[in-house]
Amino acid sequence: MARQLTPLGRVLLVVCGLALIGYGLYRYGVLDRLAGVLAPDRKQEGTVTREDFGAVAPGTAPSPAAAKGALAGGSRLARPIKVAIVTWGGYAGGIVANNGFAPNRECLFHRDYGIQVELLVIDDFEKSRDAFRVGGDKGGVDIMWSTVDAYALEYGGLRRLDPKAILQYDWSRGGDAIAVDASIRSVADLRGKKMAVAEATPSHYFALYVLTQGGLTNRDVQWVFTSSAVEAANVFKAGQVDAAVSWSPDVYIAARERTGARILASTKEASNLIADIFVARGDFLAEHPEDARRFVAGWLKGVEQANANPDRTATLLARSFSGIGLEDAKGMLADVKLPDYSETRAFFEPQGSLANYHSIFKTAQGIWRRIGKISETYEPYQTVDTRFLEASGEFFPAAGPAKAEFEFKAPPRPAAAAILTKTVSVYFPTGSATLDENAKAVLETQVVELAATFGSAYLRIAGNTDDVGSRETNLRLSRARAEAVTQFLVSKGFERNKFDVVGHGPDKPVASNATEEGRARNRRTDFEVIPR
Amino acid sequence: MEIREAVPHRRARSLALAGVAFFFGLWCLLSYAGLVPDVILPSPTEVVRAFPVLHFEEALVRSAGWSLYRVTMGFLLAAAVAIPLGILMGTFPPIRHFFAPILDPLRFLPISALVPLTIVWFGIEEMQKVMFLFMGTVVYLLPLVVDAVAKVDTVYLQTATTLGASRWQAVRHVLIPGSLPAIGDALRVMNGIGWTYVILAEVINARYGLGALITVAGKRSHVDQIFALVVVILAIGMVTDQVIRLVNQKLFFWKE
Repeated sequence: MARQLTPLGRVLLVVCGLALIGYGLYRYGVLDRLAGVLAPDRKQEGTVTREDFGAVAPGTAPSPAAAKGALAGGSRLARPIKVAIVTWGGYAGGIVANNGFAPNRECLFHRDYGIQVELLVIDDFEKSRDAFRVGGDKGGVDIMWSTVDAYALEYGGLRRLDPKAILQYDWSRGGDAIAVDASIRSVADLRGKKMAVAEATPSHYFALYVLTQGGLTNRDVQWVFTSSAVEAANVFKAGQVDAAVSWSPDVYIAARERTGARILASTKEASNLIADIFVARGDFLAEHPEDARRFVAGWLKGVEQANANPDRTATLLARSFSGIGLEDAKGMLADVKLPDYSETRAFFEPQGSLANYHSIFKTAQGIWRRIGKISETYEPYQTVDTRFLEASGEFFPAAGPAKAEFEFKAPPRPAAAAILTKTVSVYFPTGSATLDENAKAVLETQVVELAATFGSAYLRIAGNTDDVGSRETNLRLSRARAEAVTQFLVSKGFERNKFDVVGHGPDKPVASNATEEGRARNRRTDFEVIPR
Repeated sequence: MEIREAVPHRRARSLALAGVAFFFGLWCLLSYAGLVPDVILPSPTEVVRAFPVLHFEEALVRSAGWSLYRVTMGFLLAAAVAIPLGILMGTFPPIRHFFAPILDPLRFLPISALVPLTIVWFGIEEMQKVMFLFMGTVVYLLPLVVDAVAKVDTVYLQTATTLGASRWQAVRHVLIPGSLPAIGDALRVMNGIGWTYVILAEVINARYGLGALITVAGKRSHVDQIFALVVVILAIGMVTDQVIRLVNQKLFFWKE
């Protein structure tokens, strides 16, 4: 008996049919392939390892081919130079030179250098970039703040403005830090943990650096990305993550307010990683080179005065920044190092300081590329213009070569805990404590950079052996080898007292000595970063 | 042009098209003629070129899907709370007076200040984003619902009472049907509010999301991508707006 289907029955039939077809498509992977075309997933991130940071050994970058011509041509600017800054102690030099933020005639900039400068606090990152794109002639700014790592990320997007780095105004020294909960004692403990960080910022870069030097990769933690460092600190404070990378003062407040939390590492130890720089528009530099030179010179004179009178500088900072009291201002100054003329010159030389603009830019660019944030890369010398710095030399006649910044008086306390331990296999011939060329190359890429970046921290160099041979011999040999490594590093320009030499012999194996593979792993040199 | 003149359907459509063409032409003029530098206003060509990159490398479609999901959930949640509460408040003034002192000032709340609170209350997963959008939407939706109920002509209510309707019947057969078309319009307007908060909603732990993509594009100084993402949001907004309009027409056919 033929029966007419009711409308509901028909709908049900169609739904069942579609479900069957859908299941079939899913079962045989057609849906996945379809999704791959219609809604492809994000491009796979590469793995960032410690090799990415050692790849550019300091001092091996090519010599800059940038035009070193004189600052001829152009005209003098008829308005104040406009500079985008943020609420941060690193601007002390310029604030002293300008005696505040507003353009005026009663300051070092105008009195000694005949220019007027307006410092504009634009705390929102994107807004400061908008102002830079607009330019100083049209209500925006001529010069903006950046960090070398952030500049490496955004350079491609800004390239049409032909931007150039012209001056380093500070090193972050404690301004960026990693807060962790009580369960995390060293970087290795971060494996598998949730870590909040503002994506594609100096915090992110700092986190990648510390993780990889401690033997992890970017894939070993669960990232919780936020849009700003303040959010990262908030997420940590709320107990939603195990660790957070943020900046001062938020990160320190968050670590204080969460029970059991502490600071694992900061740029106090990784003293030569986050460099703050000024980036100027290409058209501004081309049209007003003399103003740019006077700006650089005046700023660095301000740095001399700021470094000489920290109390007066703090008072001026507190008066200038809104919402910043005197104690806050002192804290802000303690979080930065203001390089003087010699130091900033050395910073921009490819063969200059151990951690310099060229090595950081190139390394940072490699990292951002590895995790898919940029696709094109540029040579560091394309992104910088040191003519203004060089032409300011006449104002700093007393400036000699940059001096070593940190003094290491006593060796570190034996009980002091390491922030991280970088394990490197340095090959020595059997029974010998002599470094061959291969071993030197390994140290050059893996350790010189580490020692330079953690400029203010001690490095404990611990030699370890397998259990073949007598313990006494191995103890002596491991110590002699650690000493050889130390001597090599000292020859690279580090102070001897920075290093603590230890020979553990076979006493601290990381693998079983029963197999050849395990013994190979046990023959190693550990580099422990120990805060001062 | 007459005040409140009736525009035939066809003419309305051509006027709308002309409006779109005008603004597109203005964009072309400003960008191609170089009146605004391309680092500030990218040209249509550059914006179109940004799409393949966003599609194949940045998971554009998945991000749009996630943002649409969050905005829709926040919106539905807001409707689920605001419609019954608003009808109650509009019907019974004592209830309205009870809630008014807290609910009215909430509209002045700078919503970004709520982000840390939502982290503490709702964690860092999807719940936090949806609840944030819910809070941002409900404070605007509620007064509109209250208003819609209050605006139902008293004549209808009096007629119903005269005919012997009970209190419940008057609400059920007069106030609710009388206010629903206006509530439908309010929902249409409020659907847009969620999208204006999408960047703020996705500041934390958004693996996919148009707002999160805009933030990262900004850090990389990719203005072309930011504009392309804004175009996507506008397109989604236009489509959902039309969908809600059609649903309103079907559901509240007694409006005119």
